[in-house]
Amino acid sequence: MDASDLSTLVERCRAGDALAWEAFVRQTQGRMFALAYSYAGDREDARDLAQEIFVRLYEARGQWPSGDEFLPWLFRVARNRSVDYLRRRSVRRPAVTVGEGEIAELPDPAPGAEAQAIASDRRGLLHAALRGLSAINREVVVLRDVHGLDIKQVASILGIPLGTVKSRASRARVELAERVLALSRGRGEA
Amino acid sequence: MSGITCDQIRAATLDPGASPRDWTGLPEAAAHVRRCAACQDWLEAFAAGEQAWTSVPADDFTGHVIARTAGLEAVLRDLPRLADMDPGLGFTERVLRATTMKPSPAGWRARASGAWRALVRRPRFAWEAAYVATVCWVLVFGNPVGAIEWSTSNLGAVARERLGPPVNELRGDLETWRATLKPEPASARGTAAGATAEPAPPVLRAWQAAAEWVRGVATSVAETFSTAWARVVEWFASVLGEPSNPSTEPPAGGARSS
Repeated sequence: MDASDLSTLVERCRAGDALAWEAFVRQTQGRMFALAYSYAGDREDARDLAQEIFVRLYEARGQWPSGDEFLPWLFRVARNRSVDYLRRRSVRRPAVTVGEGEIAELPDPAPGAEAQAIASDRRGLLHAALRGLSAINREVVVLRDVHGLDIKQVASILGIPLGTVKSRASRARVELAERVLALSRGRGEA
Repeated sequence: MSGITCDQIRAATLDPGASPRDWTGLPEAAAHVRRCAACQDWLEAFAAGEQAWTSVPADDFTGHVIARTAGLEAVLRDLPRLADMDPGLGFTERVLRATTMKPSPAGWRARASGAWRALVRRPRFAWEAAYVATVCWVLVFGNPVGAIEWSTSNLGAVARERLGPPVNELRGDLETWRATLKPEPASARGTAAGATAEPAPPVLRAWQAAAEWVRGVATSVAETFSTAWARVVEWFASVLGEPSNPSTEPPAGGARSS
């Protein structure tokens, strides 16, 4: 997403331009859905969560920050909404800690050709490995390595010290790679 | 576990200055690995990564780990591809439906107005408003229960005290007016009325005559029935041998002789 385009869109959305809002949704829905998926771990839940994020953004569009502050703010809002969503969902159904081996043996939750294709390709493998990380390590990897935020922005969004983000990022990357390896072996890949 | 920790095992394995398998010579470490499933998994992953290991950077711990962990570079290269996912058909329309196209509340007035509307729409708002109103009432006017109790016992006295003089004054005026407007005696009024009254119209006179006749007929019928009833009662009394009611006793030489 071009930064100048996004900045223009943000300004127009703040002014109440309905067309700009639609364009904003179309431009950012892929990233918001991906972020929601990294938290929810399920496509339907991720769609609901992404919609909640957009509704929250829409309600607060009078207070959108401008310039370089917008993207970190956007991720902070999305992250907070995701954490709320997970908290509500954990009330509805208890969270289960799934081990690495169990992940490899888990059937794909979404049936159908698309789901099977996703599960079999490398992205599905990465998602499965990410789900095996601890919550904080997963957030660090998702924000830092998936969405490309810098260390300071990640620290600000997560509310943890800079040094902690650095150390966690290093450990989380190694852990992720190990999990990818384990899952690859589990699925008979090299 | 045996005085050696998982971190020490991993550090020893990853230490470039030592042989990766040096720790196997330590009985404590071997015992730890035999018992620790996490370390076994980690070492398995490490062994797989070691196959892809080509070079070890000299003084960078993360670099060592990256180099010794197979696929990490590929993983890091692939991760940004997860940043954009297709949410599926209809997602945009769904979001646009969920977000109405109202103008954005720009100023603080609009925001305050929106916040107030949201507050008022809350289900408990009526209860909260009633509570606040009650508290304000008590603060301004005092305890209403005490006031009611006081008023029931003292309202009459207060009314007499506050309204007594004007009521007495009005009462005096009323007596004065009553004496002034006292009606004249009937004879005087009748004379005066007879002197000045005009004769009633023929229709009214006929109506009055008819009414008088109906009243007379009704009275005579009632008297006839009453007399007949008295005779019936007397006859029954004579048949049954009971003394008749003095009020209903027929005149001497009546029905008994016949």
